[in-house]
Amino acid sequence: MAVDPLAQAAERSTFDAASFKQSDTGPKGLRWWREVGWRYIVGALGIAFALMPVYFVALASVSPTATLQGAQLVPRAVTLDNYRELFDSTPFFTWLWNSIKIAGGAAVANMFLSAMAAYAFARLRFAGRRPGLLTILLVQMFPQLLANVAIFLFLVNVSNYFPFMGFGTQLGLFLVYLGGALGTNTWLMKGFFDTVPKELDESALVDGATHGQIFLRIILPLSLPILVVAGLLSFIFLFNEFILASILLGQADDNQTLATGLFRFIDQNYGQQWGPFAGGALIGSLPTLLLFLFLQRYIVSGLTAGGVKG
Amino acid sequence: MSKAPAARVSYADRLADRLGAGSVTGLLLKLLFLGVVNGLSLYAVLTLLPMREWTPLVVVVLATVAIDWVYLSSRRIPLKFLIPGTIALLIFQVYPVLYTGYIGLTNYGTGNVLNEQQAIDRIIADSITVPDDAIRYQSTPLVDDADELALLLTDPEGEIFLGTGDGLTTLEEGDIVGEGADRRILDTYRPLTLREVGDREAEVLAFAVPIDAEDVEELAVDTEADAISVQTFNTAAVAIQRLEHDAATGEIVDLVDGTVYTAIEGTFTAEDGSTLRPGFREFIGFSNFERVLTSPAIRGPFMRVFLWTFAFAVLSVITTFVLGLALALALNDPRLKLRRTTRSLLIIPYALPSFMTALIWRGLMNTSFGPINEVLGVDIPWLTSQAFAGALPKASVLLVNLWLGFGYMFLITTGALQAMPEEVKEAARVDGASGWQILRRITLPLLLVAVGPLLIASFAFNFNNFNTVFLLTGGGPPIQGTLTPAGHTDILISFSSRLAFAGGRGQDFGLAAAISTIIFFLVAIFSYIGFKRTKVLEEIN
Repeated sequence: MAVDPLAQAAERSTFDAASFKQSDTGPKGLRWWREVGWRYIVGALGIAFALMPVYFVALASVSPTATLQGAQLVPRAVTLDNYRELFDSTPFFTWLWNSIKIAGGAAVANMFLSAMAAYAFARLRFAGRRPGLLTILLVQMFPQLLANVAIFLFLVNVSNYFPFMGFGTQLGLFLVYLGGALGTNTWLMKGFFDTVPKELDESALVDGATHGQIFLRIILPLSLPILVVAGLLSFIFLFNEFILASILLGQADDNQTLATGLFRFIDQNYGQQWGPFAGGALIGSLPTLLLFLFLQRYIVSGLTAGGVKG
Repeated sequence: MSKAPAARVSYADRLADRLGAGSVTGLLLKLLFLGVVNGLSLYAVLTLLPMREWTPLVVVVLATVAIDWVYLSSRRIPLKFLIPGTIALLIFQVYPVLYTGYIGLTNYGTGNVLNEQQAIDRIIADSITVPDDAIRYQSTPLVDDADELALLLTDPEGEIFLGTGDGLTTLEEGDIVGEGADRRILDTYRPLTLREVGDREAEVLAFAVPIDAEDVEELAVDTEADAISVQTFNTAAVAIQRLEHDAATGEIVDLVDGTVYTAIEGTFTAEDGSTLRPGFREFIGFSNFERVLTSPAIRGPFMRVFLWTFAFAVLSVITTFVLGLALALALNDPRLKLRRTTRSLLIIPYALPSFMTALIWRGLMNTSFGPINEVLGVDIPWLTSQAFAGALPKASVLLVNLWLGFGYMFLITTGALQAMPEEVKEAARVDGASGWQILRRITLPLLLVAVGPLLIASFAFNFNNFNTVFLLTGGGPPIQGTLTPAGHTDILISFSSRLAFAGGRGQDFGLAAAISTIIFFLVAIFSYIGFKRTKVLEEIN
């Protein structure tokens, strides 16, 4: 995927009726509309539906009023005041950094732990392998957020012994996120490792390599695409995670992630801070949005790997 | 690595081999890793040991021994790969799930936070009162060389006593050396400085000197006194303890009027129904589950929330799937231009952080100021209407969830359509099937087989889709006239976390955990049925 999709999108952001007609040797006129033309209209409607809120937010972020009131379809004036207000009145970049740090760190760690387990399930034969795989599948049915009360009380308890990793600490939240390491991703990776030819590690074993070396030097490099997908999905999930972060991070403003910080910012007198919030929403959306657009192809294959054979 | 003759293999290599590392570098890395693990656990043990916290101590030691046992061996290879993730899974996923089940069987929550002994101590301490005719002392807070508090007491007749946490001692002349702040009593006690009093305020004010019968006689106190307790920074008074805990029966007895309080479900209750606060947390069996199913205050809201959770999850899957599929079918045509650009634009809602978009929609749908109403020139209460059991907010939540989710469905159905063998359709076309017939009879069935498991996963996800509901409506608008706070758009997870964490009405961890446990079982049942039907479990190899 050498072409930058964003640039491409900017370049051809409008549907130009002339451009599709000229090159075709296919159907023309009414038949063209029946077979192909209507698809453009469906696509355009879909895009309008998808982008409408984004348009309003972008508009609000550069509008001269900070409040929700007085929205217009076309901006009358453009200013960066809302962004200035956001950076002045909130530790916005601390929140963003906290989110990237916690979600990114946990995603990388989860990816590695998951890959290790997947290697064992894909390459080694041992008692309890099948039950182990089943257990992972079953445990995954019970998302951590359901156990939020227990996790909260557990971390409060931990604070009594190890305050640096208990309730109200980012390290505590990070460790809690590690609990989700073995799960869907393990299955995804095991499926991928199964497709790496076994002859490669067998010949390495003959040459005296250990399983640790095979894992690190052969399997991981060959499985880079699936590692990227698994890590990315895990990052996006954790970047979005709200309930555990809001329960476990305590009240300190500098301790919040983007999700909990922006929520607290906008939740008190909703509507008054709409403009600055809109600015924050746009900037805060960039990390996942860019990752998504640039790694689109990998993600599609990763998402469908679970269900689609082909 | 060339093979060296056996005799030439260095000691380091042999050691590396025995400890299951492939090379000396591997060995060093392994030792470094184990050193860090053991160092951390040694630190943990040294912290926990003085606190006498045996359970976490045992867990830490067992985990460390397990790690050492696995990694210091040249065998047990599967475990080497499994143990790190497994430990994380056990501590932060399996344990919390089991703990949730346990909390659901207790009365843990506001008013029942302490354990039984702590609650008894608190109740007894609270029952210490000073009678009107009690003897009052001038007192000076003291501290000994070991930093233990004590009191220097002067009674109305001018007699001087030393009161410590153990009891009362009469002081003779000569026991006190020096004046004012430089005084030294019995050569071990000195007055607290003003700053120290400030720092230890709570401790000083809670200080009491226990006194026994002998002291009572000596002090010529009329009332049945139990302690001399600090009243202000420079006064203390003889106090009586009104309640007493009977260790043999486990009851608390009122020494003045003889009322007996028995512990019932974590609360000391008298025969006439009066209770002592605070209560303590206790195992109460299935009471929370009974409350959910039988108590009118909870059952009504719970049932409504329960039904809406189902409807929300099912409708979310259906609407997102239908829209995603429709777009995928329409746009998956090789004759279309800009297919990649269109796809990129369509997945933007899915690529944006969902917490952000839920908050954005909350603003857009605001009744008085929201851009949607503003542009349409109307005043539709999208998120707050109470009419028809909150039908409009429910529809709004579904609409927003459709917006959030159709991109995902579009992605996976596009992927599935492209993976579908073209020959089958071609064969059908040759046999004279119409486009609609091919779609109905071939494309859709094949597609459903492919994405079926993902639809089940999507259902399970939406069943607990806390973000959309909580950030968009907060569960609201509130259902009128319910004793337990519940909203028209509440789903089970937002309902139960409000019970656990919302301020104001107090926190009911026990009830919230019981509801979580119910959700666990529901999700388990759906998943079982789902996996059974899609035969995922049979394909494990």
